[in-house]
Amino acid sequence: MTRRRWGLAALGIMLMGWIIGGEWVSIHQHVPENHFIDAVGGLSFLVAGLVALDRRPRNRMGWLMIAYVAVSYLGNWGNLQVAVVPMIGTIGQQPGGAILAQMVLSYPTGRLRTRFERFVIGTIYAVAIGMSAVIALAYDPRADGCTRCAWEPAPFPSRHAVLTAISAGQRAGFFVFLLLIMALWLRWRRATPAERLGLAPLWVAASIYMVVGLMGTFASPDPTAQPFAYLVWELQSVLQIILPIVFLWGLLSTRLARSAVGDLVMELERPLLPGELRASLARALGDPSLDLLYALEGQGRWVNADGQPRFLPTPGGGRQARTATVVEREGEPLAALIHDPALDQGLVRAAAAAAGMAIVNERLQAEVRAQLEEVRASRQRIVEAGDAERRRVERNLHDGTQQRMATLALSLAMLRDRVAGDPAMAASLDQAAAELKLAIGELRELARGIHPAILTEEGLPAAVEALADRSSLPVRVRADFDERLPEPVEATAYFVVSESLANVAKYACASGAQVALWRRNGSLHVEVIDDGVGGADASRGSGLRGLEDRVSAVRGSFRVHTSPGGGTCVVAEIPCDT
Amino acid sequence: MDPTMPGGAAAAARVGRTFSPEPGVIRVVLADDSVLFREGLARLLAENGFLVAGQAGDADELDVVVEQESPDVVVTDIRMPPTNTNEGLLAAQRIHAQHPQIGLLVLSQYVETRQAVKLLQNASHGVGYLLKDRVSDIAEFADAVRRVARGGSAIDPEVVAHLLQRRGAYSALGALTGREQDILALMAQGRSNRAICERLVLSPKTVETHVGAIFSKLGLLPAADDHRRVLAVITYLRNT
Repeated sequence: MTRRRWGLAALGIMLMGWIIGGEWVSIHQHVPENHFIDAVGGLSFLVAGLVALDRRPRNRMGWLMIAYVAVSYLGNWGNLQVAVVPMIGTIGQQPGGAILAQMVLSYPTGRLRTRFERFVIGTIYAVAIGMSAVIALAYDPRADGCTRCAWEPAPFPSRHAVLTAISAGQRAGFFVFLLLIMALWLRWRRATPAERLGLAPLWVAASIYMVVGLMGTFASPDPTAQPFAYLVWELQSVLQIILPIVFLWGLLSTRLARSAVGDLVMELERPLLPGELRASLARALGDPSLDLLYALEGQGRWVNADGQPRFLPTPGGGRQARTATVVEREGEPLAALIHDPALDQGLVRAAAAAAGMAIVNERLQAEVRAQLEEVRASRQRIVEAGDAERRRVERNLHDGTQQRMATLALSLAMLRDRVAGDPAMAASLDQAAAELKLAIGELRELARGIHPAILTEEGLPAAVEALADRSSLPVRVRADFDERLPEPVEATAYFVVSESLANVAKYACASGAQVALWRRNGSLHVEVIDDGVGGADASRGSGLRGLEDRVSAVRGSFRVHTSPGGGTCVVAEIPCDT
Repeated sequence: MDPTMPGGAAAAARVGRTFSPEPGVIRVVLADDSVLFREGLARLLAENGFLVAGQAGDADELDVVVEQESPDVVVTDIRMPPTNTNEGLLAAQRIHAQHPQIGLLVLSQYVETRQAVKLLQNASHGVGYLLKDRVSDIAEFADAVRRVARGGSAIDPEVVAHLLQRRGAYSALGALTGREQDILALMAQGRSNRAICERLVLSPKTVETHVGAIFSKLGLLPAADDHRRVLAVITYLRNT
């Protein structure tokens, strides 16, 4: 045994004597209470405190529990009617409640965190000590008719002062109780999910204890007088046995969590679905918000299990701070667990080690997904660049060539006006003007085919309406929005409608078509329905295939529903997060 | 020069002030960002008996010149700086809201039925919507400017042609004779009965009879003026 353990054993024996002696005094003075339950409550705190001091030497909770035992048994010893002992006992036991409050609020580290918490606990101590001081200075037992009492008369006996102090203390007690509740509430609100998981059992026990305590206070000032109040009082004693066990359980629960790591090893023996590893680790470590990122080999980039790029949290960052524990293999980063800073580092490392093989596997999958994602993103970029280029060409045609040709047509017309007297010249100018007019018309159609200006200028619903206006069939357009969407989304949706309407006009033998555009759940939905002969096949027709490629390039989905004679319905869903 | 005037020297320099306009001469303000096109158009209009009261290179200048000159008609390109989208259209709507008596002729490199309908709906009278290269048909264009200046309408034949080509229109207009269909197209372009007479070499009485027949066959109520007639016909064609 170490010296520390010898010391703890000695302290334990001393305090056991203190407890049993205190009960012995109470029995001899015929104090009406269940001495057995009372003693077990005290011993429970003592044992829990000693175990805590042994297992978690740097944690203050153990000392607080020991202090609570020492202070609260002063009350029992105070029943010994010898010299100043009753006075010391009565006064000395007062901070007991304050120590208990401090334990609850500072659990599980034993340290108060905020200035407000220190203020609340300080106030509770001040009220208790202040009340004791008044009693010590002014209480005269003989004034209460107690002739047998061993209490030495106070230096400034005043019955009035004592009564006032007691009633003021009770009022202040209620006030500080409210402050304590507020501090606890703030503590809960600030707690991270993992902390809350640890706090919950203690707080349940502490709430019952406090409610029972309050019931006792309101039931009767003298618990021995009423059966109900006596029952409540005893109930509180029973809870005193349970409370230290809960404290200790919380302190040692990382040990319990370590056994959860054992469960994790068992769980990981079977094949995992994507994302399942993260969930298993989160469960084992008791941090539902835990995230698992993978390092792409030699790139210094991180991705999640789906291959989506992510960043490691930067150190600091206030209340929402996250800690990254990086798992390495042969000096190269492999994965990172992003977790609650309250988690025990050793435990996180143990869990990561247990999940070793699964992490390696899932990282390979994530790498493949990241590569796929890159290919997909580059396809999207190519499509978008193509669209941008078409827009640019259309704009250049519109503002350059078309404008120049219009000016040329104007000049030609005026020239024609001047040579009205020369029929030969007039005829050839007329011919030139007619040619130019055709060229302008062709250029206009070409520009529209490259990229419709109305899509750039007025957006998707207007452009689709223009398509409907130009369609040879009656086309009804319904759009539930008017605002602009990102350019790739507008271009893709326009392409879908324009190709689908062209197909309807060419193959469907339909009497009409309907186009619907609507936005739901961050996606644009496009639907083109006709009442034609149906039978369109996406796998054969290259037009539909092209549409499918085009829509999936912007992460959308594309479906064709059709049946012979039942018309065709083309549906595209394009994500647009605006 | 008034130093408080927005638009500054450039706008003021282009304003040819006309203090005593001859009665009956139509005063035009032009807006287009291409100087070459604008100057050409100004010359064309001047040679055809119009008075070009001012020119503007963008929508802001246009506002200034219109305030200063209060012309009979504004001829503006739809796409102008700074965004090169539909400033001209917006400027036209703005001008109409402040000076409903000024006719608005909007020119565009391309025409859309939707924009034509919007213009017709927003303006109570005097509105035109033509392809830009229509200016090369001088007589037609001058006629359109005159019509719009006097409160009539001028809708590009391409808009009307698109509407008439639709399959829905084909069945709805089946009841009309060939001649009636020709007259319907001219009405949709904004031409008055008199213009239709001249174009088709018909007597005014014949045209009136045809117009009445068209309206009753299509189930339309006779319109109070040419402008409302255009809107009614185009809306009808668009919705068939």
